[in-house]
Amino acid sequence: MNTDFDLLAFIGDSDTLLVIALIYGILLFATLLFWIAGMVKPNANLGELKMRTKSWWVMATIFVAATFINPIVSYFAFALLSFVALRELASISKNVREADRRVLIWCYLAIPIQYLLAYYGQYSLFLTFIPIFMYLWIPFMLVVKGVTEDIGRSMSVLPTQLMLTVFGVSHLAYLLSLPDIEGFAAGGRGLLLFIVFITEMNDVFQFTWGKMFGRLKIMPKVSPNKTWEGLIGGVITTTVVGYFLRFLTPFSGMEAILICLSVSIVGFIGDVVVSAIKRDIGAKDTGNTIPGHGGILDRIDSLAMTAPVFFHIVYTLYYLK
Amino acid sequence: MKRLVLTLVYSLIMRNVLKLFTGIKMIDRQNLLLKEPCIIVGNHNSHLDTVVILSSLPSRQLIKTHPIAAGDYFGKTPMKAGLTRFFVNAILIPRSRPKAGETGADPIQLMVDVLDKGDSLLLFPEGSRGEPEKFQKFKRGVGLVLEQRPGIPFIPVYMKGLGKVLPKGDPVPVPFDSYIHVGKPVYPQGKTAQEIVEEVERSIRQLAEHA
Repeated sequence: MNTDFDLLAFIGDSDTLLVIALIYGILLFATLLFWIAGMVKPNANLGELKMRTKSWWVMATIFVAATFINPIVSYFAFALLSFVALRELASISKNVREADRRVLIWCYLAIPIQYLLAYYGQYSLFLTFIPIFMYLWIPFMLVVKGVTEDIGRSMSVLPTQLMLTVFGVSHLAYLLSLPDIEGFAAGGRGLLLFIVFITEMNDVFQFTWGKMFGRLKIMPKVSPNKTWEGLIGGVITTTVVGYFLRFLTPFSGMEAILICLSVSIVGFIGDVVVSAIKRDIGAKDTGNTIPGHGGILDRIDSLAMTAPVFFHIVYTLYYLK
Repeated sequence: MKRLVLTLVYSLIMRNVLKLFTGIKMIDRQNLLLKEPCIIVGNHNSHLDTVVILSSLPSRQLIKTHPIAAGDYFGKTPMKAGLTRFFVNAILIPRSRPKAGETGADPIQLMVDVLDKGDSLLLFPEGSRGEPEKFQKFKRGVGLVLEQRPGIPFIPVYMKGLGKVLPKGDPVPVPFDSYIHVGKPVYPQGKTAQEIVEEVERSIRQLAEHA
């Protein structure tokens, strides 16, 4: 684990810098594009797109700052992200009963533990803590509380919320705890940058392709904006981008293509699963923390699923000795 | 000294603690920027309601804003009364007016005196804290005060989520999202206490529906 931060090494790490420059390049391009489009066609409804782009600037800067200034800051930042996401989900969920209030504290307490395990690179505890130990502890605490009406619902809802907001996201932090491997300079930080960039670009690509060419709806009842054109266009574009960004990873060309294909599809799955949860609750967005995007959860829904899938593919291929 | 402590506690510490813990959003906070005396009225589900409103106030208005607290609850011991007066800047009043023949302070008169001094009041017309996100019957007090001092505005405030963070009867706070929505100052049109209270209730409910 690389906890001693070396500014010179960081600046010398031109791969990472290149990608950060790329991120801001894209943002600049999008901002200019919508600005010019707004001048040419003043009647076009660009308000949401502009607001989204503005939020992307903020999110990208927070991400870059939190991830690259100091590794310790990164763990805190991801833990905070989990906390806010869990709070958001618990607040809007109609499936959290009043009797679950105290039990929710245990869910919140799981966050620092999970991130400490990530920090210390305790691989098997990290993997089992939420799916096994919390999955046992939360139902037990619910039973101790003694309100049995609808207890089955709470027993499944609370651990699922933890899986979505804490377990999934914490894999991003664990990437930073991966040991160095020879001949792969970018290391865990490169992998982190790769998966976050690919996942978020995938969201944007699927959204954009869908807006431009979308006709055949995939699941109109859950997510009316999801179309086959958007999905397929997004998967192909994401894979192409991922192929060219593979210098951040130890992947061969073929591996990069296969991994990006899976990440892209998994991102779609995460998106529609959270959409379905939202539909059940009757909320359009899961909150209003990020202007134009809804809540935190709307932005990390796909990440919550792509992060663990990506992590375990990479781990199995390169770190499992 | 008290001014400094209140600024430190609410504008610096509590505002940030609440942001971190409950992600509180302060919607239309600028409506609290009012120099003249006024009555801030809100729905009441949690002890945090007072803290949230004080934290949303511009810090220089803190010393001039007095939450109204029930004397029997917050003044149970001299110690509790002193702390409430100092750290919450509260004014303790009896829950009911003295009946004919009884002696004792008149709560309505106590509140009118504050306004006459040029200060503002913060009160919860529902009286005691209710269940999360549910309204109780509004009491007449605020109407009786505004009836005596026509021309003084009230600022309606609606808060959501705090009743889940720290509800009545559970001392352990749990993080939940929350927000406070501040309405524009209203100069009551009604003449009688009853009409004014209805106006207050309407304004707060309107904020609740808008969110």
